[in-house]
This record gives sequence, structure tokens and C-alpha cells, in this order.
Amino acid sequence: MKPGSHMKPGFFLALLLSSSIPLAMADPAMQEDVDWLKVMVFAAHRTDYTGTFIYQSGSHVETSRITHVTDAAGEHERLEGLDGERHEIIRNNDQVLCYLANGKVLIKKREGKGAFPALLPDQLSALNENYLIRRGEEDRVAGLHAHTLLFLPRDNLRYVHKMWAHSDSGLLLKAVVLDERGRVIEQYAFTQLSIGGNIDRKWIVQDKFLDKLRQQQAGVGAAVTTAASESGWQVGALPAGFRKVLEMRRSLRDGKAQVTHLVFSDGLAGISVFIESLADKPEMHPGLYSQGVMQIYSKVVDDNLLTVVGEVPPRTLLQVADSVRFRGQ
Amino acid sequence: MKERISTMMDGELFEDETEALLSRIKHHPEARQEWQTYHLIGDALRQPQHISRDISATLRERLQLEPTVLAPRRKISQKVRYFAMSAAASLMALALVIWMSAQIGAEPATQQMAVQQQAGAVQPAGLAARQGVDDYLMAHQEVSPSTDVQGAASYIHTVAAR
Repeated sequence: MKPGSHMKPGFFLALLLSSSIPLAMADPAMQEDVDWLKVMVFAAHRTDYTGTFIYQSGSHVETSRITHVTDAAGEHERLEGLDGERHEIIRNNDQVLCYLANGKVLIKKREGKGAFPALLPDQLSALNENYLIRRGEEDRVAGLHAHTLLFLPRDNLRYVHKMWAHSDSGLLLKAVVLDERGRVIEQYAFTQLSIGGNIDRKWIVQDKFLDKLRQQQAGVGAAVTTAASESGWQVGALPAGFRKVLEMRRSLRDGKAQVTHLVFSDGLAGISVFIESLADKPEMHPGLYSQGVMQIYSKVVDDNLLTVVGEVPPRTLLQVADSVRFRGQ
Repeated sequence: MKERISTMMDGELFEDETEALLSRIKHHPEARQEWQTYHLIGDALRQPQHISRDISATLRERLQLEPTVLAPRRKISQKVRYFAMSAAASLMALALVIWMSAQIGAEPATQQMAVQQQAGAVQPAGLAARQGVDDYLMAHQEVSPSTDVQGAASYIHTVAAR
């Protein structure tokens, strides 16, 4: 049996509950809702599936095919754009290969995260502090039975999230993000999904090939990530409910730039702060960029370019960006 | 020249005129510039995704100064925040219009439309600038909790995925 292919969530629940740490809030209904989220995270990484989904943000709609399989070597994931010119992204554990529409191939290494992320007790308690988690009505998505989970923010610093999880596998079938006025920021929904069975694996790229490709791309070999607990950069007015989860020095732009990367989380949404020297000639232009739920804001602070990225409302992002200061090492 | 391009794009030129114009665009740098500007404006008015463009060094400096002027250090109220943001957006809108007029001369109707489009959003820029964004998006998605549930679907936000 392939890991996770046909297992029932009851099994996951038993598995996960046995290792879970009691939460501050002992409400059994809430415990069950949080468990559903754990099941979803587990399912996303341990299930073999392939399907087509639609993504919509504003007037922009696109269709993509996603395939996820696991084997002894780990996780393999493929995202193919089905509209416009051909383009796709393939992930092999921590290596990401992008075939761009212009024929270019890019390879990136994912840093700062293990192959299998788990929801930590810290993250779960943050979730409960910042969101009211409610079990919604049962529904059907792409012909599959789904449970719904609603994450209602306790303030206006974050978005409302609604998720549909497949009742059998725990896979995320549909997700909608809304602002505080109930306007849809973006949504994502499977129109067709097959779980388990014979999924084509011919597209899987061997690690050896990826390593060779990485060596060929200038400077990639030099990419080194070091955990830097104290870079001296601080966010003075961190929005309520966000905690620092990570701080590191990492390379960007194929190793051409070394940046300080701070990561904050409220349990569901993340905010990244990147600080790099202007001497490294960043390609990013100062300003605000938004793509659905994702906001990016860049500005110059002294001789540095500060870039803040997060799936939070622009005001939350700007609060972070405006309070970043160098306090010295 | 601008009018000719616009007329051609509206399909109102005769075939031989169109060919002559296209050949001119091909061989004359100024004509090519006009052609690119025409499409840039079109893109600016149509794009659903927004990206700001580094319009001038002055704007960069002003953006850098602006939050300091508007935002108190601690306990920043939401109202101030909203104001700071809309101020930043309108500043960029203004700069875009100035930049456009420098590029294309006086074309009041187009500028007016650009300003209206600009009211709440920031303007699109070239693909190159957007690809610069991907590095940060991908780096963020590696570490963001939202990726845990969505998997590769979260790459949908990147330029590489479209």
C-alpha cells in the first residue's frame, strides 16, 4: 500500500491525536476542527493524486493540472498551466524546476523547511488565538463529498479563509479567501480529482539530473543558507498575533544575492521580510504588487532594499514594512 | 504617429497603409517607441494583476520618506495606515501619469483614464520586473504555513506558473 493513498481520515486522526499535545482551549468541537486541519496537512504531503483545478482572482481565471506522488525518494509534485503558452513547475522534495513559457528553465532550491512540515503545537495555539475556527456545512466539490472549515479572524489584520476538505482523504478540494467585507480575494477549486491508482510518473525528474542542472546554473553551487538567529534587523510594530518562526541568511537570484530572511506566522498566514544590500542590484522595483491573496511590498531603507511578502491584507504588510529597523548586532 | 497606430489598432487603416506603418515601426526606433508605449498603456488599462514600476529616483526617495512622515512609531491606528497606503498609491499614480506624459506628450483622454484606473491600485510593469518578484514569492512559499495545506497549488501566485 502506498503511503496515504487509500487511508481513511479516522486512521490519520488516531495517528495524529496520539502524538498531539493538548491545546489551551479544551473545547472538544474546536479540537475536532483543528484535527481536520492536521489531517489536511498530512494528506497534502502523503497522498498520491492528480486533478484539474481552477484559480480565480479578480477578473483573472486560469486552469491548471496538479499531480502529487510519493515514493521511496520522497515527494514529487507537478503543476502544469493549461491555459496560454506551455509552462510547468516540478518539485522534487526541496528542489524546484520551472519550465517557463519563454523556454527558459529555472531551478531553485527550497530552503529553511523540512521535507515534511508538521503543524507544531505553537502554530495551533496561534491559530486559535487569531481565528475563530468553525466547522461549516457538508458540501460537494468536483463530485466528492467535503467537510468545510471556516477560519474567522478575530481582528482585521488577516483574511477570512474557508476550506473544503475531501471527507475520505482529507485533501483540500476548494479554498476561498475573503476580506473583512466578505469580498472574494481569490479562490481555488478542483473540477476533477483522482486519488491513488495508476498515476503517470514519467515526468519525475531524477535528483542526479537536478544536481547537474543546478551546477550548470551560475552561482547556484555557492548558495548557502545559514541560520542566523540575530541579524540585527527587527520589526518594531509586529501586527498582533504574529510571531517570529524563523530567521536566516539565504541566497536569492541564483546565488547572486545574499539576503536576510525573517519569517512570521499567525498560525495560518505567513509574512516574510527580506533585506538585501542595494549594492547587489536587486531586480525588484519599489512598490506594492498583489496577486490574489499574496501581497508584496518593496521599499528602500538606507542602503538596503526591504521586501515584505505575505498572504495578509496590504495594511498588515505595510505595518510590518514601515516598522523594520536595524537595531545592530 | 500615435494617432496612426491607434487608428491601425482599431482596424480603420487600409491594408497598404497598415503595411507602410508596420514597416515604419520596424525600421524607426522612435516609431517603435510609440508602438511600445501604445501597448504599455493598453496593458496598464487592462491588467488584472497589479505591479508598480520604479518610475523615478525621486519617487523612490519620496516613498522611502513617506511612511516616516505619516506613521507614528507606536500604536499606529488603522486609519493612518489606510491613509498612508492610499497616499502611496496616489503618489505612484501621479508619478505614472507624469512619466507617461513625458513618454507620449499631451494626451489628456488617456491620462484621465490612467488616473481613474489608478485610483485604488498600482500599475503593471514589464514581465522582467514581475519575474523579479518570483524569487521572493517562492522563497516565501517555502516557509509559509499556507503552503502546508495547498502544496504546489500555492505556486499559482508566481509568474512562472502563468
